[in-house]
Amino acid sequence: MMYAIRSRKQQFFDRNIVFLMILPAIVIVAALIVIPMVYSFYLSLTNLNLLHPSRARFVGFKNYLKLLEDSIFWRSLLNTIIFMGIAVNVEFLLGLFLAQLIFKTTRGQGIVRTAIMAPMMFAPVLVGFQFKWFFNDQVGLVNNLIYFFTGEYHLIPWLINYPLNLFALLAAEIWMSTPFMVIILLAGLVSLPVEPFEAAAVDGASPWQQFRYITLPLIGPFTYIAMVIRSLDLGRAYDLVRIMTAGGPANRSEMIWTYTFRLAITDNKFGLGTAMSFITVAISFAFVIYLFRQLARSRQEVY
Amino acid sequence: MKKFTWFMIIVFGMLVLSGLSLAIAEELKLGRFDGVTIKACLIGGGDYEKIYEKFFPKFEELTGAKVEIVYKGNGFDIDKKMKLDFAAGTVDYDVCWNHTSFFSQYFDFVEPLEKYFTEEELADFSPRIMQFAWKDGHLWFIPRHADISALYYRTDIFNDPEIRKKFKEKYGYDLRPPETWEEFKEIALFLNNPPEIYGTQFAGKEEALSGRFWDILMAYGGKILDENYKPAFNGPEGIKAATLLRDLYQAGAMPPGMVNFLWDDVAANWANGTIAMYTEWYGWYSYFQNPEASKVAGKFDLARQPKGDAGIHSGWAGAHAFSVTKFSKNKEAAAALVKYITSYEPQLFEGQIGYIPVRNSVFETLKKEAENSPDPLAKKRLELMQLQINEDFTPPPIVPEWIPISNILYPTLQAIMLGDKTVEEGLNEAAKKVEELMAEAGYYD
Repeated sequence: MMYAIRSRKQQFFDRNIVFLMILPAIVIVAALIVIPMVYSFYLSLTNLNLLHPSRARFVGFKNYLKLLEDSIFWRSLLNTIIFMGIAVNVEFLLGLFLAQLIFKTTRGQGIVRTAIMAPMMFAPVLVGFQFKWFFNDQVGLVNNLIYFFTGEYHLIPWLINYPLNLFALLAAEIWMSTPFMVIILLAGLVSLPVEPFEAAAVDGASPWQQFRYITLPLIGPFTYIAMVIRSLDLGRAYDLVRIMTAGGPANRSEMIWTYTFRLAITDNKFGLGTAMSFITVAISFAFVIYLFRQLARSRQEVY
Repeated sequence: MKKFTWFMIIVFGMLVLSGLSLAIAEELKLGRFDGVTIKACLIGGGDYEKIYEKFFPKFEELTGAKVEIVYKGNGFDIDKKMKLDFAAGTVDYDVCWNHTSFFSQYFDFVEPLEKYFTEEELADFSPRIMQFAWKDGHLWFIPRHADISALYYRTDIFNDPEIRKKFKEKYGYDLRPPETWEEFKEIALFLNNPPEIYGTQFAGKEEALSGRFWDILMAYGGKILDENYKPAFNGPEGIKAATLLRDLYQAGAMPPGMVNFLWDDVAANWANGTIAMYTEWYGWYSYFQNPEASKVAGKFDLARQPKGDAGIHSGWAGAHAFSVTKFSKNKEAAAALVKYITSYEPQLFEGQIGYIPVRNSVFETLKKEAENSPDPLAKKRLELMQLQINEDFTPPPIVPEWIPISNILYPTLQAIMLGDKTVEEGLNEAAKKVEELMAEAGYYD
């Protein structure tokens, strides 16, 4: 009986075959993610300055404490949260509305679906330049439209005054990203079963009731997925803001990533900038965990 | 017989040509570097690259070396790349871009050049600029071309008899390009008529704004840092300079969007004819004088920048330059490339395509050429440039921290102009931050 007696080596192999097979993946993940993360965390505990790399030394959590005392840090965090909160919700509502409209379209749905994706095809940098011009106070489209309709010349400094500049950034962001919501939500709507709606119609449910009690809960998982992706995208909003206001003037429209970049690269304070990005990552993680819990809950509700 | 004559002429011509190229190599003492490849990290884009395309092949011919450009980018991108390369030790180039506003960041990484150049070879460069190229007894870069701002003003407005009459009635002196910053303010406020025309404006963010502040500050006799590297811009001179900016902005003599403008925005406004006068780099001149792109072509003149009560003319300036990296394995060859590309002939070429020369011999040639120019301002412009390059040229503080200091300064200046902070409050806060920055960098150890 040849197969009854197995060498120790083979036994080890059998027992650990699973581990051995994922070993390459572990090595790659470690090399590409874990080690750089650990190293950059170490950098965040130093006062590394790009101008004087040789003066870098360990300073413990001083960078983190410094940030907590920094009013611009708090302002950038607040701006990012406001920006994210408004953008995700408006994009969702607008996206849901448009998705419903497209879903109900009987003819030319394909054309509308393609057309609505157009803004997604533009690089954020280009969108930034476009909207920077829209909101330019002297030659911009918006002020000129106001002049056209009111006949009076209002020099509204859109990109200068707070919260007008946040509004301008939001307009650009919402214009650019709502189509993404539309596409995901539309996919959700298309995949819904017909039976519950037929049953509800038979029971005399109004269209609003159908929407509120059937459509919304059923597309819940899609909503959360879309919101998670959008929130993470928005959390790292950089290009658009960099082009339109560069976080200014006087840090009025600073966001976490524009400020991180300013600290780490422009001001050469690499240690401090790394600390800032770790805080950002921590917030993002917390947010994602929260959203995924919500996602799990909404799935349980549905199924 | 005829054939023979032609043959002789050709042979003779070739001899003369090779003799000439030998003579150039001889005169510059470039040396031969056969088989050596010189790698370069240089400023790129637009006209910056023309000199590489035209003169690197000539250098290769003269010396037998090969030149390879491994990176091209704008100044800020190169600065970032070089700093990261220097910190990580991944420098694979021999010659690098340098700049008077940036060079002190690179002291640890570039090779002192004094041993590769003789005194005569350096004598033709603007002494004012060379004074900044030397620090701690070493020569850190060789300048390539410079930029400095002049006062641009609209002649159609300044010569309008109606406006002149009203101005004289109000201020008691003839309307003229302002000679002092006080006059500048008065004239800007007087000519201000938005939205058709603004009294003045500057680029309102980043180094562009800190630099204009530096311009006005130096005219009042102020400094960004004192000799002990302590911030000095919050003294009475700094307060005067910041107050001037604030007053002009808050009076609406500068457009509200200005704090989000960079160079090109302001230049576009000037070309659109919505600015009465302002200070601007010479680099934009040909764009403004092109009637297809600019509404003010032929309608403006240039003047030296105003002075402050210290009697100093503003002269915030910069010069692009070349350096040799410390990591280079072919420093001799790299220095030869720098020597060649900053020599008379390539520099004359750069002057002819519009850059401000840093060699007085190039200025002389260009002025002679300008006598036949259809542009009535051509010669005046060169004379003014030469005057400013030789007398007013002043780079920002020669410390690696200039850009970080500027990054503290400009949001503060914006906050002052927007009224978020008072002048004293803002400048004192910024001074405190700058002091912290300098302390961290080890200046007060």
